Amino acid sequence: MDVFITGTGWITPLGAGLDEVWEAILGGAPAPTRELAGPVGTKAHRAATAPPKLVDDVAQNGRLRRSSNISLFAAGAAGAALKNDEDNPSRMRTCAVITSICDGGVIYSRRFYDQVVKKETASPLLFPETVYNAPASHIAALLGMDGITYTLVGDASAGLAAVELGVELLEAGEVDRCLIVGAEEADWILGEAYRQWRLPALMADGAAAIVLSREGKIRLEGVSGGVPFFRQREAGASLRAALGELPRGAKPCRVISCANGTFVDEAERGAVEAVYGRLPTVYPKKSLGDAYGASALMQIVCAVQSIRREPTGPVLVPVIGLNHQAAAALISAG
Amino acid sequence: MSIPQPASVAIVAAGIISPLGRGVDATTRSLRDGADCVTPVTAFDVSSARCHTAGQIPDAWMEELRDTRKSRRFHRASLMMIAATREMRGQDPGFAPEQFIIGATGGGMTFGEAFFRSLASGAADRRRAKWIANYNPQKPVLDAQEDAGFRVPSSIIANACASGSNAIGHAFELIRRGRRQAILCGGYDAISEMVFRGFDSLQASTPEKIRPFDAARTGLVLGEGAALFALENLERARERGAKILGRVTGYGISTDTHHITQPHPSGIGPRLAMERALASAGCGAGDIDYINAHGTATSFNDATEGLAIAELFGNRTPVSSTKSMMGHALGGAGAIEAVISLIAIREGMLPPNINFTKCDPAWELNIVANLCQTAFPRRVLSNSFGFGGTNASLVIEAAEGAN
Repeated sequence: MDVFITGTGWITPLGAGLDEVWEAILGGAPAPTRELAGPVGTKAHRAATAPPKLVDDVAQNGRLRRSSNISLFAAGAAGAALKNDEDNPSRMRTCAVITSICDGGVIYSRRFYDQVVKKETASPLLFPETVYNAPASHIAALLGMDGITYTLVGDASAGLAAVELGVELLEAGEVDRCLIVGAEEADWILGEAYRQWRLPALMADGAAAIVLSREGKIRLEGVSGGVPFFRQREAGASLRAALGELPRGAKPCRVISCANGTFVDEAERGAVEAVYGRLPTVYPKKSLGDAYGASALMQIVCAVQSIRREPTGPVLVPVIGLNHQAAAALISAG
Repeated sequence: MSIPQPASVAIVAAGIISPLGRGVDATTRSLRDGADCVTPVTAFDVSSARCHTAGQIPDAWMEELRDTRKSRRFHRASLMMIAATREMRGQDPGFAPEQFIIGATGGGMTFGEAFFRSLASGAADRRRAKWIANYNPQKPVLDAQEDAGFRVPSSIIANACASGSNAIGHAFELIRRGRRQAILCGGYDAISEMVFRGFDSLQASTPEKIRPFDAARTGLVLGEGAALFALENLERARERGAKILGRVTGYGISTDTHHITQPHPSGIGPRLAMERALASAGCGAGDIDYINAHGTATSFNDATEGLAIAELFGNRTPVSSTKSMMGHALGGAGAIEAVISLIAIREGMLPPNINFTKCDPAWELNIVANLCQTAFPRRVLSNSFGFGGTNASLVIEAAEGAN
């Protein structure tokens, strides 16, 4: 069955406009960063954060007024993707909501546990927003969907696992459309965790969303939702295996890279070259930072933008997460 | 064009570790005995909390699982996943999964807590890197794969307390539609201070015994554990001579958009999930011989689930919540209760709803009160509902008569 990407939206450190952010990425705009300070005596961390004003309208919604950034970003990107969905919404009978998350509601988690450690009254308003599926729950509620809602967690590869799950649901005829949303929020403690882990990617936050349908103009040629690796040195081989699961017919003419300044860069370069040779490559994380659970969906939105603006041939989206799986998708003009 | 017939989905092996026991046999004994496996919390300070108890897996069991050099660094959640995977592997060494689909909500949460406390204290601690490396929810799944010698894609579903049922349900759908032939699925979760305090802050946990569906219920206690099903295309499983323990025949999912922590009072979310599971299994309410309820013993859950069960099934079908014996294992609960449902079918019993005194007068249910009953259920419905309004129901059937 053919599957198409009919709507895209994002909330990024560079803005929320599809063309505006894509042009900035192509122009090599540096990621705008700010310092996230921790407790006194601890090291601050730089992060590329999405401006809160981008989700001002979403934050006015009663359901979301106490939500953490991750849910606001997710709802903002989801709303944008549905708004510019080229598919006719009147034909939408059922829609699944699938979110991909890496670290989740870390800001509220930190605040809630801080209250626990300090033996203060722990807030019952914070705790529910710490669960991984809070963004999916809010989106489903805002859209009035009573059907299928899934939240997938993992590293960056969870984004393509979510896309693969969406394809499976469409193929099974269980839904007419799937709204796939990747979201993440940055926090000081997350920066500290990645520093301890010696993974020097630029932490970022935001969200990206796509709508999958059975008809449209941008075709999802194939997706490999994940090939595991147990050690970083195995990541390249896992990506090669994921690329091997994509349709063989069409050679990509462009790559939307997942390079983030870690071991991922060399693993990706080696795997893509081994399978396809050298290809023109765009590096979105230079401009957006690495928004972990949202990053694969941001790559997909970049790929769709690339095709919409210059419909020359298929675009490859390779994804290597930091500690779970490698994955890949191939997208073309339908 | 011919439409392919949906495949039957066999359960060829199961693995479980929970406060009820280490393995299917020990779990069966606890269910028969109606064992109360809820004990005082010792892992962290609960003196200022409303609730002081939980269903906890004894540390000694965990330590026995640290039998490799690498496993010394693992989180308890990894050890639970390893234990369940080893049991599954022991039952059917020929099972070759193409994918793992696992439900979880917290991963190695206590390592995250230790990391936070270490930073808050300001003192250097060399364990920080270990904590972070073993914190993510995918790590226990990768550890279990490596321990068992598997290297296959894995999906981690975090649909709050319905996660384990969602994982089994989605695996069932993939095999039924022919996309996969064999999947290892289930769920896990380990108790953590943050989640314990979270439920305490919501006043959802109880200082008393957990009494699902009781008129005098006062809330839940938390639990922990891991459970797995090895699911396989029935025809393929038979061809390779695998023992068929049972079948998954139905899955229903719904989302209740009412509130992030409270179900809609009408019970529409649970009802939709159960109706969809029955439709998926091609059976009616009268065909269900036993319901393993979500039954958290919170005011809200039991009120809505009880109402939905009473409306759909009346008061004929036996119902129990086995959380009464071991607490609520969150992301692991649905999988643990699916394995318990299989045990009920295979061992000819209805597991009890212990600590039960008097049914809530809001509805009339046939509660399996306090003592395990001998019966021979052939078709069981297992419910799981969670934060965010996620609802999932599974239909599990006996192996005999599989087409």
